Amino acid sequence: MMSTIRNVEPKAINLTIDGKACSGVFGQTILEIARENDIYIPTMCYLTKTLPIASCRMCVVDVEGVDGMILSCQEKATDGAVINTNNDELYKERQNIMKLYNVNHPLECGVCDKSGECDLQNKTMEFGVSGQNFTTKEPHRPVQNWGVISYDPALCIMCEKCVRVSTEITGDEALKVKFGGYSSTIINVKEDANYKTLGEAAAVCPVGALVDTSFKYTANAWELNKIPSACPHCGAGHDVNYEVKNNKIYRVTNQAEFSTMCSASRYGFDFDNKNVKKDVSSFNSAIEAFENAETIIFSNETSNEEALIFQKLKEERGYKLISSEARAYQKFMNAYGSVTGKLLADGTLDKLTKSRAVIVMGTRINDDAPIVKYHLNMASKWQRARVVYLHPIVDDEISNIVTQFIKYEAGSEEGVAALLADTLLKDAALPDGVRAVLDDLDIGNLSAESNVGEEELEALRKSLIKKVGYSLVVGSDLYAHPRAQNIAKLLALLEKYAGFNVICVPPAGNAMGISLICELDDEVEGSTIGYNVKGDFTLSALGDGDLDMPALNQQEGTLTAFTKRVVPLNVVLEYGGYVLNDIANALGLSAEYTIEYTKELPSKKGFEAVEFDSLPDYFDAVGTEHRGYLLNEVEVAVDETLEEPLEIDGYDGTVVYNCNPQEHFSAFTAKSKNLEQNAYLRGSQQFATVAKLADGDKISYTIDGVKFERVFKIDTSLKGTIALNPTFDMGLSSALISSYRFNQVEIEKVGS
Amino acid sequence: MAKLLFSTWRDEFIDNRGKPSEEWSESGFKLPETYHGERESKAFIGWDGVAIFDEDIDAVVLATQYAAQYQEYSEACGRCAPGRWGGRILYDLLDKIARGEGSHDDIAHLKEISQTMMVTSKCEIGRTVPKPILDLMEHYKEQFNTCIDAQIQSIHYEGDISYIAKVTAPCTDMCPAHVDIPAYIEGVRDMVFTDSLAATRQTMPLAHTCGRVCPHPCEDACRRMNLDEPISIMELKRLGADYETDHEIPWLHPVEPKPLRNDGKKVAIIGAGPAGLTAAYYLALEGIKVDIFEELPVNGGEVAVGVPEYRMPVDKYNKDIDLVLELEAVSITNNCRVDAEKLKEIHEEYDATLLGFGARLSKKVRATNENPDMHGYWGAIEMLDKVNLWHKYGIGSPASNELKDKTVVCVGGGFTSMDVVRCSIREGAKKVIMLYRRDEKTIIRNTTYEEYHEAVEEGVEFIFHSSIEEIYDDGEKLTKLKVNKFDLVPDPNGGRAQLVKQEDGDFDIEIDYLIPAVSQSLDLQILPDEWNIEMTSWNSILTNGKDYMTSHEGLFAAGDCEYGPMTIVNAVGQARRAASVISRYIYDGKCTLLDDEIMEDHLSRLRVYDKKEKVTGWMPGIPRVESEKLGVDERKTNNKEVNLGFTGEEAISEAERCMRCYYISMVAV
Repeated sequence: MMSTIRNVEPKAINLTIDGKACSGVFGQTILEIARENDIYIPTMCYLTKTLPIASCRMCVVDVEGVDGMILSCQEKATDGAVINTNNDELYKERQNIMKLYNVNHPLECGVCDKSGECDLQNKTMEFGVSGQNFTTKEPHRPVQNWGVISYDPALCIMCEKCVRVSTEITGDEALKVKFGGYSSTIINVKEDANYKTLGEAAAVCPVGALVDTSFKYTANAWELNKIPSACPHCGAGHDVNYEVKNNKIYRVTNQAEFSTMCSASRYGFDFDNKNVKKDVSSFNSAIEAFENAETIIFSNETSNEEALIFQKLKEERGYKLISSEARAYQKFMNAYGSVTGKLLADGTLDKLTKSRAVIVMGTRINDDAPIVKYHLNMASKWQRARVVYLHPIVDDEISNIVTQFIKYEAGSEEGVAALLADTLLKDAALPDGVRAVLDDLDIGNLSAESNVGEEELEALRKSLIKKVGYSLVVGSDLYAHPRAQNIAKLLALLEKYAGFNVICVPPAGNAMGISLICELDDEVEGSTIGYNVKGDFTLSALGDGDLDMPALNQQEGTLTAFTKRVVPLNVVLEYGGYVLNDIANALGLSAEYTIEYTKELPSKKGFEAVEFDSLPDYFDAVGTEHRGYLLNEVEVAVDETLEEPLEIDGYDGTVVYNCNPQEHFSAFTAKSKNLEQNAYLRGSQQFATVAKLADGDKISYTIDGVKFERVFKIDTSLKGTIALNPTFDMGLSSALISSYRFNQVEIEKVGS
Repeated sequence: MAKLLFSTWRDEFIDNRGKPSEEWSESGFKLPETYHGERESKAFIGWDGVAIFDEDIDAVVLATQYAAQYQEYSEACGRCAPGRWGGRILYDLLDKIARGEGSHDDIAHLKEISQTMMVTSKCEIGRTVPKPILDLMEHYKEQFNTCIDAQIQSIHYEGDISYIAKVTAPCTDMCPAHVDIPAYIEGVRDMVFTDSLAATRQTMPLAHTCGRVCPHPCEDACRRMNLDEPISIMELKRLGADYETDHEIPWLHPVEPKPLRNDGKKVAIIGAGPAGLTAAYYLALEGIKVDIFEELPVNGGEVAVGVPEYRMPVDKYNKDIDLVLELEAVSITNNCRVDAEKLKEIHEEYDATLLGFGARLSKKVRATNENPDMHGYWGAIEMLDKVNLWHKYGIGSPASNELKDKTVVCVGGGFTSMDVVRCSIREGAKKVIMLYRRDEKTIIRNTTYEEYHEAVEEGVEFIFHSSIEEIYDDGEKLTKLKVNKFDLVPDPNGGRAQLVKQEDGDFDIEIDYLIPAVSQSLDLQILPDEWNIEMTSWNSILTNGKDYMTSHEGLFAAGDCEYGPMTIVNAVGQARRAASVISRYIYDGKCTLLDDEIMEDHLSRLRVYDKKEKVTGWMPGIPRVESEKLGVDERKTNNKEVNLGFTGEEAISEAERCMRCYYISMVAV
């Protein structure tokens, strides 16, 4: 992490490492500069994506004129320093440290899952430590099972990387160091919560102490074929490595040194469409259905290339294209861009981590976008960022990050956006028209309708005490809101006139890619083709449609991540059936492979004309991401006309909020056996009372024409009168649920 | 200075072995040759060497026990490979030798592992533990050899000598409250802010307060100074406290508060300032019933009514106060002025009484025609009371009614006078002048660099080397001052420079208000005459400075009433010690100290920080991080907190400069 203290221009420094002239800026550590210059310094505890841990002491170097050995991972480089990273003395001390690491470490590598990719094994060899010259009495310490991961304290070298990931990155704060000298150990202080994000902690374990429980004893690391790809689920498009043997995925890993995954991608890899063969008659039926259909409905689990095929089919044959979540996002972003003059919001996750204050609104961020939550947590830990979370439902899972929770009434998002704009743009130089609208706001009324008090807004304003470094994160609650466009414009003012780093987190999957590539429609007409959605004729990778399709880990293509990066997907598992491109060809398009469309993605939306096979897919030695490419910035016409917020109808009675648990996003994660979980309607005791329900009641209700039949569970961690309604388990209907996320529903009791 | 047999302490090498004890030479250090009362020390061993006071010492066991202490204390650490395993191996090998099973190979291993620990350990504790052990192995070689060659136990292996150890650090030692500073800094570095706060609260309940307005004597004992600049210790304390407040987590106590004992024992505390709150806190954590009697309608003592909002926001201080007052065992009575009669009643009723009142009488400037009753003459305490009661609690009326567009002169040079002048600016005074007898350097030393410079920025005019000779009034109100100017004339003999009055230096200042802030004294009406309580020469209540009992049985005193006007952290430190003593006194009627407290006092006397020590193994030239402050125009017309505190990045960057200078010391008795 480079220093950006108070955005002062970093001071350039020059130094010499191993005789090589190097340069950097003050704030960088010696190790960072060495790595940038391809100079190797051995480490055991260093983890690029966290702050220096400084537990192993392997990285000591010699600095001329400075007595003693200097810890290069933590110590900042100074101008003019002359550094040597290796000499006999340093080698000896590093060797001694390796000897200490080997005190009592069981030398039973044959039965250890880490063997072959173990840092301890590698460094022991590197430093020529042949045996264990010191031993001490080892207390017996049993292996712990922590759900998705297992911990073997006897193998643990106490590098603390896992604790740092849990604290700094994922923010589950489950793993801690239990101090105890030589009997120090890692503990899980939140065992009951059973966090799947612990997998991210295990991913950085340099030895075999933390391993995935499901992977343990199933395969040797060196037998597995690593196939790089991108997350198909959460929308962040982060890197994943499917580790495969005999057409079976054993586990999913990633470049954990630099990046972090959502739990859905780490564990929810078994969503492929299995044992599919080419079924000619179904294929012919599909073509016939296409000939007769007027509308194609598709879910977010559609690659950029597939979306482009749909768009081309629309252009050729006039189909209506329906992808409701993507459409809502498209309209929202169009309105947003009409203020900023840019196609996309300006915000980046990197700037989010450097924020001093963050406002989160219109998303249950911990569940909606785990990767964004991680970055929020980084801002909280690295910057002690003030995090103001505005939502109708409090989320205890992020209370360690949130410094102010502001509860607003469901439905009042437009009023809240107006209040935010009014509060945060008091001193901004606004165009007269915009200022007039803000000046005309009936603050008292907005405050009353939204239930956001003026003192709360004053406290929020105080959170922005530092002069720079503000971010705004908004999400899916807003996109399908009836007033989405005006909300978008109000919030866009913060990017344009108050310097906010704004991230509009799209719905999961490839919603952002679809929204950029397709001219989407609002209304279904005539007979429909469903693509991973129930249609009159259904193409499905879920295995229950009229014609099988490949899942996203069975095809090549690209996704558009909400990081504005176009990232490649590779074929991980074999697939023997037809793909969308076959249908497209039958309908008159012409491409041998789907990925021929990669270079045709629309440049006017920021895509580049690059061949799929030319897309890079790696991180360099200092962790810079070279995966696919970043979308180019696209300018759009400006129209800052704002409307006054409309009065809202209150949401009374039994209100449910469509929201999936953190590791679920769609029917595809629901298909994963590894992620199997029951989908309940979860509400507080208060909700139960209002809805006259008891824990365990069987209930039924309808949202967007989709009938839910569920068991109701009282969740004591919840508060208020809004229940959480998961949608991931609704199979081909999942993608149909796309209206505003809060719904007033009639709940029918069908049993108990 | 102690006569001793042998010493390698610091740069000293003394070896009186073979000489009769009357010919032994003395150490230049205040080493603990007597442990406590009648108990003599046999040896003292620590980070900087070993001192032996008694010929009957077993060097092998001494070294083993020292290594064992490291093992025990590494419970608080064990966070680097060399320290974690190295310490364990040190102990195992030494014990093997001591029990008669060692070999000369073990000695070689010991030296090798010591070397690795000394150059690569994360904290000073790991780096320094081997030093005295190597000293013993070198200078008491024959004892080690005997055990190895004859394969026999060392002479005192069976444990007839007691070893009492304590971990400290230079900053912790210098802090009057002995806060475990490296631990709370490590909590920041680890971004586990709850750990940081828990470390602070072990000995310091007022984490918000002492993260803002502590004059941080610790920073004068920061070893980082030997390398570049001291760590910004004080401000790093805020992060843990702010975390608790920001995330509204339940109070984070250093230990689970014990249930109220309900055994009839109870302690009275006079004054709800820093001393009273601190004593109440640590007594209540033990489940001991505490009743606080507070004269003012608001809690917090001088920090509440004396320290201005822009330095110490009351909502933050109230968190510190609530932490204490919300404990089950604590109750408080406000608006309760305790006079001598009332004190006698209280003392009769309670098992012990702690006086924790402040110094709230403003002293005079000693000028001709000084009449405190004249309009325009306004004692600093009264003035600050008015300002703070209004701004923080809405009590009374704004001081701007008096001060707006007026000329204000303050005489002082300490924190109180800074508060007076800066508040006067904020109340709209037209002209604010500080008269100070000495120079700029001294005022900075007495307060802080920031205080002085911020006051200058805000428009306070400082007139140094000046004092008031005469005060003029028109019979109703003050009109002007006659001020003398002085020159600071260096003593040709190298003594302290003298202030010499300038012949033609006198001048007048037209004024509306004179606010003396030259010091404060105690209101001693509270003390019953018949108790004849012994006082110090500067008229504060006398104790022995260790157990804080006054000359009256069962009556204790801590904070400004004991020491005279001093710092918050001093009050906290004294009160915590007093609470510890009281927690035993109310049961056995004796004033006793714990071993830990005895060692604490020994170490303070010895002084842990060595400003001449050469620090190795750290990159020099990494500047101290300064937190962001409000600009002068953003602050001088309001009471917004001036110091915006560190960002996380700044704090962590500063925490990474901390060298974790933990040291173990141990006495053999």
